[in-house]
Amino acid sequence: MVTRSIKKKGIVSLFLMVLTVMVLGCSSEKSGNKGAASDGSTAKIGVVSYLTGAGAAYGESIRQGLELASDEVNAKGKVKLELIFEDSKGEKNEAINAVNKLIHKDNVLSLIGPTLSGEMFAVGPIVNQEGVPIMGTSLTVEGITEIGDYVFRNSLPDSAAIPQSVKKAKEKFNLKKVAIMYSDNNDLAVSGFKIFEKTLKEIGVEVIAVETFADKNTDFSAQLTKIATLNPDAIMVAGLYQEAALILKKAREIGITVPVVGNNGFNSPQLIKSAGNAADGAIVASPWFPGKDDAKVKSFIAAYKAKYKKEPDQFAAQAYDALQIMAIAIEKTGSVTDRQKLRDTLATVKDYSGVTGKFAFDEKRNPSMDVTVLVVKDGQFTELK
Amino acid sequence: MFLQQLINGITLGSTYALIALGYTLIFGVLNIVNMAHGEIFMFGAFIGLILATKFNMSIFSALLGAMVAGAVLGYLMERLALRPLRRRKVSELAPLISTIGVSIFLESLALRLFGPQAQSFPSIYAAQLFEVGGLKISAVQIIILAISFGLMVALRFWLAKTRLGKSIRATAENIETANLLGVDTQKVIVLTVMLASALGGGAGVLVGLAFNAIEPTMGITMGFKGLAVLILGGLGNITGAMVGGLLLGIAEIFSVAYGVSSYRDAVAFGFIILLLFLRPQGIFGSKEQQGGR
Amino acid sequence: MEFLLNPYYMQLITFIIINAILGISIYLTLSTGQLSLGNAGFMSVGAYTSALLTLKAGVPLYAAVPLGGAAACLLAAIIGIPTTRLRGIYLAIATLGFGEVVRVIILNLKITNGALGLSSIPSMGVMLSKGIAAFGLAGGIGGISVRQLGSIAVILILALILGFLIFFALRLSSSRLGRAFAAIKADEHAAEVSGIDTRYYKLLAFFMGAFVAGIAGGLAAHITFYIGPKDFAYHRAVEILLFAVLGGSDVVWGPILGAVLLTVLPEVLRFATEYREMIYGAILVLMMAFRPQGLISESTLALWRTKLTRQPKIAGQDKVTRRTTP
Repeated sequence: MVTRSIKKKGIVSLFLMVLTVMVLGCSSEKSGNKGAASDGSTAKIGVVSYLTGAGAAYGESIRQGLELASDEVNAKGKVKLELIFEDSKGEKNEAINAVNKLIHKDNVLSLIGPTLSGEMFAVGPIVNQEGVPIMGTSLTVEGITEIGDYVFRNSLPDSAAIPQSVKKAKEKFNLKKVAIMYSDNNDLAVSGFKIFEKTLKEIGVEVIAVETFADKNTDFSAQLTKIATLNPDAIMVAGLYQEAALILKKAREIGITVPVVGNNGFNSPQLIKSAGNAADGAIVASPWFPGKDDAKVKSFIAAYKAKYKKEPDQFAAQAYDALQIMAIAIEKTGSVTDRQKLRDTLATVKDYSGVTGKFAFDEKRNPSMDVTVLVVKDGQFTELK
Repeated sequence: MFLQQLINGITLGSTYALIALGYTLIFGVLNIVNMAHGEIFMFGAFIGLILATKFNMSIFSALLGAMVAGAVLGYLMERLALRPLRRRKVSELAPLISTIGVSIFLESLALRLFGPQAQSFPSIYAAQLFEVGGLKISAVQIIILAISFGLMVALRFWLAKTRLGKSIRATAENIETANLLGVDTQKVIVLTVMLASALGGGAGVLVGLAFNAIEPTMGITMGFKGLAVLILGGLGNITGAMVGGLLLGIAEIFSVAYGVSSYRDAVAFGFIILLLFLRPQGIFGSKEQQGGR
Repeated sequence: MEFLLNPYYMQLITFIIINAILGISIYLTLSTGQLSLGNAGFMSVGAYTSALLTLKAGVPLYAAVPLGGAAACLLAAIIGIPTTRLRGIYLAIATLGFGEVVRVIILNLKITNGALGLSSIPSMGVMLSKGIAAFGLAGGIGGISVRQLGSIAVILILALILGFLIFFALRLSSSRLGRAFAAIKADEHAAEVSGIDTRYYKLLAFFMGAFVAGIAGGLAAHITFYIGPKDFAYHRAVEILLFAVLGGSDVVWGPILGAVLLTVLPEVLRFATEYREMIYGAILVLMMAFRPQGLISESTLALWRTKLTRQPKIAGQDKVTRRTTP
């Protein structure tokens, strides 16, 4: 009897399996035949984002920024946008499946995302081959837009942001020798580290120590104890805000009071929230400055707070701008299906003024925009003058 | 700097030891490597955090609450993921895989429940620093060190001298024989898993206090370290877990202080691989214990 | 058939095949009862070796992929000679640790470009499309574009490799070697007593698993343009383990079924993506509790054999293909 019941279970499971395969086949056949933008007036934009998993906080901000922008664009009524979100879980294979689905099943006009540069290096060539414009909103490493003509980004690359903060800090605090810390298992941080190193060399500041850590590390006592004995004039840190906050806390705790210059990862209200007083003296260069005296920024922050009950971060702001830029380009082309025309129009976008300031694409489809060097003072990002 | 780094190493090591004690307890009785221990530890940290911030409990009641929550999770895990395996004769790898399942489940559940962002205890509990002759050590770290040493001694005493401890050891020796001798092995196993999980939950709160970052993936990182210590110290050996934990902590800190910090995360497993070749029974494992060969 | 030409599904099929090859790699080591969690590590060695050979040394693809497998195999020799003395959970944890160490080394080496990973790896699809275009079919045939032809060629090549590996695994299980493996899996002591050189066979199985994982890594590198250390972390090792646990590791069809299901299901369940990991966790627990042998085992195969055909037993291969595509 026992063996028979096991066998029965085996049969049942096999039937289930066959069924899933068949259901998959049928459902996909149906949707595969759907034409592009069937109702003819709505532009479908696919979004690939890191929505679940360890980095979901970033994906969530991006989603919220995009949704807010989409609501506003649709309320204006000049173009109708439909966002289709797909989760990449921060994994490149998932991201590849997601863009393929968006392009070939949903027939989207263009794409926004993905969140991580590794994902972009994997999906960029595919998307470029298909001739679909894609815009990254959170990618700061080198070599993104070199993937191809259809790849855009509106996030400022490290090479444009970090040198500004380093130079400003040198001039302000008269830096002679500094220590660098970076997360060696994070692409964004490694890229940031390289720019730090290069810039410091260029402006003649000596690097007296380079220490690494890893994402999700919580203990930085060894690195900071070592750095403390060397008495640097400042510490440069490349990492994400979670580790950055812990580093700041620990550094202040063991008596390091020098300024800490960060990469893009520092630019988050969460940094101040989790580091508290220890965040004072953290420096970061960014086009996004929440304290800016600008009507657009203020109304964006108000609308975001009203909708999501929290402060927007740079990821939300950049995603918001990305969709606005996309909408302007779509409006200009007057077509919700012509990908080639959208690409050509996007490439000529300039004089857009959004929440991250004045914006234009340069000839390599990277953003050219103004950077503000910010310093945390009394728990607020303020301009470093 | 050497002394300060040594202190850093000992404080880090004591948290590893605290986590490894839970692994060791379960392994000692059930011969199972509980891959979900790290996630129970993480849940404990979150429960403690919620009790302290949302319900304004004192840190000690939050710690107790986290231990209770850990025990409940341990009970559920034993009931749902371990007991069904004991009833049928399965390979020793089955519980390993089953607890990996539990760990993945708990981790993603935590991501859903608590969100991916790192959270920390309010700053009133923040580590108070003592300074002795230029050396800095935080209050929480001293507490952790004291607790792990205390636990080690208590556990050893308890297992050696008390009735329940004796039945646990009998069960660990041989389940069938213990059964015949009138030990309620089912009860002993449930109790051990619950105790180990309660320790894990409590460790979560302490480590959360010490390092100020509680997030859903902390279980994997810490769990891996605990796992490494378990092997280093000799499977199921309580003193071994303590010493192994301290050694690993010091080795990691020294690899940063005097070596290359980027290889730090390879230290734990590099150690294990080396040790398994040289002395598979662990530093403190005795020869008769079923070794790796 | 129209929908099968959709690049989305073609890409999915390539992922299914890669995962099935990984399934075979864990099956090979498991067939001696050794649970190795190092396959993600071996996969990364294969992927990086093959990618670097093509990127930096200009080695052609068809040579680079097997060399990737060979590199994984070489590393397996270094790590395997001591580790295969270990049993059960010791081996599992040592190999898990090995995977972590490999990841840290890749993060630190200059040539692997650390956390940034390797991008613009020569793609098999692009290369084949170019080849097809040079063949005078730049316009494609019968409404099938040259890119689709390239993808079809990729799938065919991958399927050929998979087919060969399946054939090999099936032959293996009915050979002297396979029976020695099975004897070790059933009871290592008994096998040793009856004169089987268990260390030799275990090592051999370990090598074969590493080689196949290395090949899978090399292939994966050349169908996705990019590899990074994140792709081969702990979660990847668990995913490979899931193939064998869900599908079963008694017969080679088990992990392959597991790989197919676990590659297709996430796409079908895209709406439930937040619960995917939870479902995976639950699968592991439930399978261990109720069906530790996996969905397919010897007995299910035997059952289907008698159900579907009244013919006497012949090689299991065509039976199974018939079963999965009714």
